[in-house]
Amino acid sequence: MQLAYTPQQQAFRAEVRTWLAGHVPADPLLTLECEEGYHQHVAWERQLASGNWGMVTWPEAYGGRGLDLIEWLIFEEEYWGAGAPLRVNQNGIFLLGPTIMEYGTPEQKERFLTPMAAGEKIWAQAWSEPGAGSDMAAIKTTAFRDGDHYVINGQKTWSSRASFADWGFGLFRTEEGSQRHKGLSFILFDLDTPGVTRRPIRQLHGHPGFAELFFDDVRVPVENRLAGEGEGWKVAMATAGFERGLMLRSPGRFQATARRLIELFRQHEREASPSAREAVARAWMDTQAYAYNTYAVAAKIMAGGSIGAEASLNKIFWSELDRAMHRTAMHLLGAAAELRQFADGRMNDWLEGYMFSLSGPIYAGSNEIQRNITAERLLDMPRVGAG
Amino acid sequence: MDMLIAPERLELAEAVRDFLSGTHGPEVLRRLDAGPNRDPAIWQGLVEMGLTGLLVPQDHGGLGMGLLDAALIARECGRVALAEPLVESAFVAVPWLVANGRTEDLAAIAAGGRKVAPAHQLNGWVADGEGAALDSIDPLRNLTALPATASNDPLLLDLGALMAAAQLVGLAEAMLDQAVEYSKIRTQFGQPVGGFQAIKHKLADVAVALEFARPVLWRAAQALDDAIESASLHVSHAKVAATDAAYLSAESAIQVHGAMGYTYEVDLHFWMKRGWALSGAWGSHAYHLRHIDAAIIGGTHPIGPENTFA
Ligand SMILES: Cc1cc2nc3c(=O)[nH]c(=O)nc-3n(C[C@H](O)[C@H](O)[C@H](O)COP(=O)(O)OP(=O)(O)OC[C@H]3O[C@@H](n4cnc5c(N)ncnc54)[C@H](O)[C@@H]3O)c2cc1C
Repeated sequence: MQLAYTPQQQAFRAEVRTWLAGHVPADPLLTLECEEGYHQHVAWERQLASGNWGMVTWPEAYGGRGLDLIEWLIFEEEYWGAGAPLRVNQNGIFLLGPTIMEYGTPEQKERFLTPMAAGEKIWAQAWSEPGAGSDMAAIKTTAFRDGDHYVINGQKTWSSRASFADWGFGLFRTEEGSQRHKGLSFILFDLDTPGVTRRPIRQLHGHPGFAELFFDDVRVPVENRLAGEGEGWKVAMATAGFERGLMLRSPGRFQATARRLIELFRQHEREASPSAREAVARAWMDTQAYAYNTYAVAAKIMAGGSIGAEASLNKIFWSELDRAMHRTAMHLLGAAAELRQFADGRMNDWLEGYMFSLSGPIYAGSNEIQRNITAERLLDMPRVGAG
Repeated sequence: MDMLIAPERLELAEAVRDFLSGTHGPEVLRRLDAGPNRDPAIWQGLVEMGLTGLLVPQDHGGLGMGLLDAALIARECGRVALAEPLVESAFVAVPWLVANGRTEDLAAIAAGGRKVAPAHQLNGWVADGEGAALDSIDPLRNLTALPATASNDPLLLDLGALMAAAQLVGLAEAMLDQAVEYSKIRTQFGQPVGGFQAIKHKLADVAVALEFARPVLWRAAQALDDAIESASLHVSHAKVAATDAAYLSAESAIQVHGAMGYTYEVDLHFWMKRGWALSGAWGSHAYHLRHIDAAIIGGTHPIGPENTFA
């Protein structure tokens, strides 16, 4: 164990910091869950990409920098430390991108990865259906072959960013009469294809953050399928692993929240409760623990290892930590917590953050499902019935 | 920057795990509880494994290893709820003696002929010392009153707290394993109770707490090994995280065992009681939380993007 950064890593940190200091928007962007904010975020992604900062671990051929995971963690610490915006591009670069690198053909890599890293195409995930949330294998939307096209019919729902995004990816039933995990294929589709209707859904905070998608004889070329026909479940599980695991939830984001919380506590120290003090100290402890764990996992992956069901432990930890930190902030704010905008004009981003944190234990596979996975696959506890 | 523990260090801990699980199973705990609660033969086995000399410098007849190695092994001692005073003597007292240049007893400690019982003012007692006996809830813990000569050296406190944390992690892991095993064999309503989600989720939460306590522990051990300025903050962090994991594991394990877990006949209680004992030892939970508070909220420890490992 060697817990000092190398001179090279320190130089990289300095380079990231300098670039961010010169580019991070001075005024916070509007939320990416509304149309105007979405476009502001897309513009930010393109700016990041102009400096090749879109996805630093990607090969240079696709607009990355070919860096290792430790450098990525350093980048993320600086990114969130600088107060840079949420990544509207995250489904692409963190989830679909790595999946394409693993399962895509050379043509698919060529076609999809560069525009993804460049922020030119923003992606939405389309797994969930009205009758298939936690039970994803219950999906019904079909994509049947007609020559060199699939014809898609059915409905997806709760697709983040699909109200405004360019492309979608998800699982579809490609074998007539197939059940559960069988007969599914992983298909990428342009959200502007004729026959796709998007109906934005207002989320808790009032913004149209995600959408229902209706498919009415939507024709998608067969070359948009990732991996073999009928192999969709396996590919989707790889994507889900990326979602729960390392990429989307870099410690830098939570560490930055913990630091803001400490600052908030200092401002409210006089009226704060003793238990709030402990909760704030715990925010630091837990975000540090999360960072150590992530650095260790990154080193393990770099040494040729992989993460399996441990991603579920990760998912439970970051999502409940994020909620707890924001809940503490709500208590510290007291009566002011209800204001969307404070009297001095600043946005109450703790309130926005709290509402957003409530979704963490639900999306990316609810925490109940993650606990089932932990118990059955990591602790080897008995499987009974459907549980 | 490399947060992974080198494979050879893990191999040593693995070898110690095999050795301890072979020589210090639950039947030993029950035997020690019924009679004299230390066993010279077991102690001799630890000596022969080289464990009493683990941290003794090589020129005093030891292995000269580091605190991270010792923490890995203290965790194994926790896993079997080791009764012998190996951790306090060899992993807490020895590095303190070395740091203070008091080398006269080191060879005898490494050879197993001498045990040292460290006394710190923050503990109200000494474990395995000499003097008037105090009664611990842990039947295998020998406590005596604190002598007037007890130290208040912060380094000794850090060493004690770190090694307590390491044992607490091992204790918590062992209780989780026992609960998982029991959940597979105990059937109710025609199925193993471990098939019920209410039980699964309880134990999954213990797994989460442990997953994020372990790296804090390794980081604290490395910080103390490297003698970085903030080492003692990281030790406090480890002690709090390990204590929380141990309490959660104990409470969840007993719940999963039902009334069976509430009996003296089931071994679980040895681990629970050791956990309670070590949770308060070498600085209480409140002490370590206050320490973290002061550094983090009080602003004496730097926090910022470049300070993850400060
Ligand atoms: C902010 C947000 C963004 C999202 N973005 C996307 C997206 O981009 N693309 C997409 O496809 N989907 C998305 N989702 C949907 C998300 O994946 C589902 O909400 C999630 O899988 C849970 O499904 P559900 O909402 O249908 O809940 P349900 O499955 O109806 O579950 C209801 C409750 O029952 C519990 N439960 C269900 N089954 C079990 C079980 N076996 N054991 C124990 N408890 C169980 C659940 O944990 C939950 O608490 C998003 C959701 C949110 C909140």
